Amino acid sequence: MVSTIQNTDVKQKDAARAAVVAVTSRAVFDCGVGGGDDVCGVGVAFPLLQALQRVNERLLEENPAESLLFDVVLITTSSQQQQQSSRISSSTRHYGLEVSRFCFSSEEDFIESLLTNGVQLFLTTDRNEATQASQSGVLSALLDQQIASCPPEQLRVMFCGDAIVQPDTGPTPASRQVAQSFSTQLGEMRQRFGVFNSPLSIVLVTSRGGRESCSGALQKLRSRGVSVDEAYCLAGAPQGPIVSLLRPHFLLSEGFRNLEE
Amino acid sequence: MSEINPNNSAPAEDNGEEKDWAAAKAFFDNLKTNKPRPPKPRYAVTIAVSSRTLFNMVAERKIYEEEGLEKYVAHQVEHENEPLKPGPAFPFVKALMNVNSRLRELYPDSEELFDIVLMTNNHAQVGVRLINSINYYDLTIERFCMTGGKSPTGYLKAYMTNLYLSKDSEKVTEAIEEGIAAATMFMQETDKENQLSDTQLRVAFDGDAVLFSDESEIIVKKHGLDTFFEHEKEFENKPLAQGPLKCFLESLGKLQRKFYAKNERMNCPIRTFLVTARSAASSGARVLKTLRSWGLEIDEALFLAGAPKGPLLQKIKPHIFFDDQMFHIDGAKELGTISAHVPYGIGQKYHKGKLIEQPAKKE
Repeated sequence: MVSTIQNTDVKQKDAARAAVVAVTSRAVFDCGVGGGDDVCGVGVAFPLLQALQRVNERLLEENPAESLLFDVVLITTSSQQQQQSSRISSSTRHYGLEVSRFCFSSEEDFIESLLTNGVQLFLTTDRNEATQASQSGVLSALLDQQIASCPPEQLRVMFCGDAIVQPDTGPTPASRQVAQSFSTQLGEMRQRFGVFNSPLSIVLVTSRGGRESCSGALQKLRSRGVSVDEAYCLAGAPQGPIVSLLRPHFLLSEGFRNLEE
Repeated sequence: MSEINPNNSAPAEDNGEEKDWAAAKAFFDNLKTNKPRPPKPRYAVTIAVSSRTLFNMVAERKIYEEEGLEKYVAHQVEHENEPLKPGPAFPFVKALMNVNSRLRELYPDSEELFDIVLMTNNHAQVGVRLINSINYYDLTIERFCMTGGKSPTGYLKAYMTNLYLSKDSEKVTEAIEEGIAAATMFMQETDKENQLSDTQLRVAFDGDAVLFSDESEIIVKKHGLDTFFEHEKEFENKPLAQGPLKCFLESLGKLQRKFYAKNERMNCPIRTFLVTARSAASSGARVLKTLRSWGLEIDEALFLAGAPKGPLLQKIKPHIFFDDQMFHIDGAKELGTISAHVPYGIGQKYHKGKLIEQPAKKE
């Protein structure tokens, strides 16, 4: 049984224009073994939520009537978490997080929840959940444990250049479509800020291809209105050391295939 | 793209590295063009160049300084289909590419090659013009970092950089402090451009505080030349400690030996020079013995006994000349030599023999 509850502490976003991002409560809070109304500890995705919030704040600074904002939904994906619903809502209020809605679902119906809530990006620390969502046509990204130390002042989104340039392998037209429309929204948000001091940074990494691949990806993204801030072309050099320096909050891939690698 | 997980234990990391490498290899092998595949970083001699050393961006830099970052980026984007003119590191890069072609002819399967990486803190939108310019000159640069404002030092290590060239002395100093060979490049005065070889990479090094530590230079500055001569004679057989560019000379030597192994010594496309103010008669022996103790060869050792380096360098015509003292850099530049300053050692505190008054360090 899914229940969707609005967070009355937070102003609701314009459904037509906002970018709806759902994050699993398990990633945001570490609810441990406490009970009752105890406030949960922070989870790895806490700085991520702060970063999303920061983008919204800065967007509204530029234009108080801005409707292109992040609409953050906290979603539970297991009955166990579902039972923690009151702790999740009270923790959200306690930390003053800008979460518009809670979706209290279980492992059987969280996909349905994502779909009925018009979620455009689903973020989770659980690989299976991400795969399931992706297979159902919801753009998903896997959150890494490392993001706990990512900066809360700037949202850093990483794109993989190899996938952009060779889209025929793997992703279905539908999943490519959702990825592209979300990235276009991101691109639009990015345009609201100048080159310097932006609360949102778009990072492109080309791991296999060389300069031509990276250049192609830069141009393709540009044609979709996404202006890349940082570009790293590896051409086979080891990814690990570079990516650990980049500190992205998540990787936006063009489809299902990239999640598998 | 694999999951972000830099804290893998060593064996898993190597596996990840191998996978990255295999995928790239397959990618390049499948390309229809004859583009040479970039070498495996672990085996390559990686040279990282900044955008302002590779290309002449003096006019653009002026826009950045006078009108700010936003105008600068807009200008670059507006002109992105106009290739930039070559910068001070351009001839050096072309010479490296030539060595690579020769190496590929002799050793088609080897990964021991030069790998040229563009390391810039420019914004990726400016990067489009940089890539277009690289395409225009058909340079073999397949790896790059456009950090959008962040310091490149961490990335230098991640790309296993053997030598970093930049116009920004702060970045260069940071790199040297992290143990990476680095130098600040200067354009030669344009009306005195030397005709450089296009078949042989020629690299000239100063000795003290470049190949060797500044231990002897400290003696000169603090106790004068006479003490210096006595000291060097006494310690003739004690090798000097190594300087920031010793490892780079070593990697050049390794590549040279690959040519010697194929009987190409007479026709070797790499030639190294030592250009030192030391004198052959007195203080020179220690230098040669030190190089020998390190198992390093230098093709020509030129002892100037204090004479100016400019005229000699004009004859040598190196693609790059490394020195720790701005006095020598200026002299070289004036006579058309492309020079690179190594901000290391006691020489930084002196100008023409006089101690520079250091402003109080900013906290």
